Amino acid sequence: MIDALERVTNLVALLMATRVPITLDQISHELSGQYPTGEAALRGAFERDKALLREIGVPLETEVLGGSDAGRTAYRIDRARYELADLALAPDEQAALQLAVAAARLADAQFGLLKLGGDRSSVPVVVANIPELAALPALREATAARAQVSFGYHGSARQLQPYALMLRQRFWYVIGHDVDRDELRTYRVDRIEDDPVVGEPGVFQRPDGFDPRQAFPSDPKLLGDEPTARAEVWVGVSRAEAVERELGEAAVRDRRADGSVVVEVPCANEEAFRSWLFGLGVHAEVIAPAELRASIVDWLRALAGAK
Amino acid sequence: MSGRRGPRPTGDRLRRLLVMLPWLMERGEASLAEMSDRFEVSESELVKDLELAAMCGLPPFLDELVDVYIDEGRVYGGVQRLFNRPLRLTAPEGFALLAAARVAMQLPGADAGGALARALVKLAAVLGDDAVVVDTPQPPATAAVANAAQKCERLRIHYWSPAADRRSEREITPRRVFLDGGSWYVIADDHLSGESRTFRIDRIESLEATGVIDAPRDVDVPTDGAWFADADLPTARLRIPASETWVAERYPTRSVTAIQNGWELVVSIASERWLEQLLLRLGPAAQVVEPPEWKDLGARAARTLLATYEAGTHAGN
Repeated sequence: MIDALERVTNLVALLMATRVPITLDQISHELSGQYPTGEAALRGAFERDKALLREIGVPLETEVLGGSDAGRTAYRIDRARYELADLALAPDEQAALQLAVAAARLADAQFGLLKLGGDRSSVPVVVANIPELAALPALREATAARAQVSFGYHGSARQLQPYALMLRQRFWYVIGHDVDRDELRTYRVDRIEDDPVVGEPGVFQRPDGFDPRQAFPSDPKLLGDEPTARAEVWVGVSRAEAVERELGEAAVRDRRADGSVVVEVPCANEEAFRSWLFGLGVHAEVIAPAELRASIVDWLRALAGAK
Repeated sequence: MSGRRGPRPTGDRLRRLLVMLPWLMERGEASLAEMSDRFEVSESELVKDLELAAMCGLPPFLDELVDVYIDEGRVYGGVQRLFNRPLRLTAPEGFALLAAARVAMQLPGADAGGALARALVKLAAVLGDDAVVVDTPQPPATAAVANAAQKCERLRIHYWSPAADRRSEREITPRRVFLDGGSWYVIADDHLSGESRTFRIDRIESLEATGVIDAPRDVDVPTDGAWFADADLPTARLRIPASETWVAERYPTRSVTAIQNGWELVVSIASERWLEQLLLRLGPAAQVVEPPEWKDLGARAARTLLATYEAGTHAGN
């Protein structure tokens, strides 16, 4: 039995060498003795090889023939599409990219770098853990190609013209024009429920100067129906400096003799606000507005009485 | 590439072969050891795949497809008829390269007009407009900490420890700085405890250089989320309502089980104070099932906070 590597290597070579697309019959004839005989076994083996080539990124052109071969499928590899374009990276650019890849430690980036002729660098002093998600490569290609994507999200189908992908905090987001809702929408990529289906390229334009960072606030406390809502919060001396650093000096409403401060904090989103507040433990207390203070007290009472 | 045992998948072997052949053609020759290291494959597997490739061919020129032979630990490659350029970047490779470069542009010391930025422009020219944005602001101390790690220089810091709920002064020798889940951390030799510790950089309240240079020491940086999940930490079993799935998305869990109207999670507990804060955020709808001593942790924390609200001293009542 021939080693599978030899057969697929020959298959790639054959499909690259041919000028016109060739059918499975021609392929099995050219690679005689390498594919199993018998229609079903031949087709099964060829389908597996095709899947393997797609998986590693070999672009396979297919064409349905007419004339005397009507209905038959023919195959070919276009060398111009197969071959890596020459990036012409200068040595310092190559080195910088190597360092970036070493810092990110993504296996796909490391293999891509090998294709670009780069070397592996030792792990630098600063590294980044980047969440990897199966949907990201297809979404990026769709974004670059200006192709519409469809995917399931919270149980319903979405049609999105993606403008950008953004890594913020710990999550990847895809931001774009939601076709059915006819507005700018942001989706968490890890919540996409299936493989995104990518449509035809060039079907939309991205607005000039689009900046995904402006699409939604990075502070979840600002994300709500009343974006201007603010709370006044007392912060004890041991956390005062850190909170002032976080919110900026302008947020300080009052400095007290014991070193504690009262700061103004966004609270468009009460849940996000609570989360921030409780992160400070006993070192923070809501002063105003009175309704918010009452709401926090109610929340605490319910929890204090819970079994 | 992968640590799996058993027969290597044909796809992995072909993928690597199609990169090795053009590389070898460019170089003319290389040692087996060098190729094994570079392409992350054992020498015996390398020999097997290269010898197999040398036998490949199409009629009528049956053995002229791949020009490669191995002699005394060296591999020689001639001009390849077809495989003389690497296979294009796949979608995952293209994405990963762009993401790595975009993230690196955000790392301390990155030069916006420098070599990496130029490399990114060239990558984007091939891959199409990249549209990948990384928004991971660094705490102000990050650059200084990274610089100290580069030089193995000891720093004197004030650090806020949320577990102890207090500030400490200590000397640390930073070893590696890393970004994980949107936060920046440093792994350092902690001269206060005498151990290697991980600190969150935004909790470093002040720092100064000591001028003391320590011997270099290599430390591993854990991968995405693993450093928290794998640590030798106690666990708690929690029940949360279905609306609070963010807990499982945000924190590494040991297990997640669907129960009626919600989830049962086993979560690593970094410190009792961390669990307290989580329970305060979740409110009365969440429950600690195990261990028993934490069952009323949330209620106790709520009572402590309520006492300050009821006293009203800070509100000026």
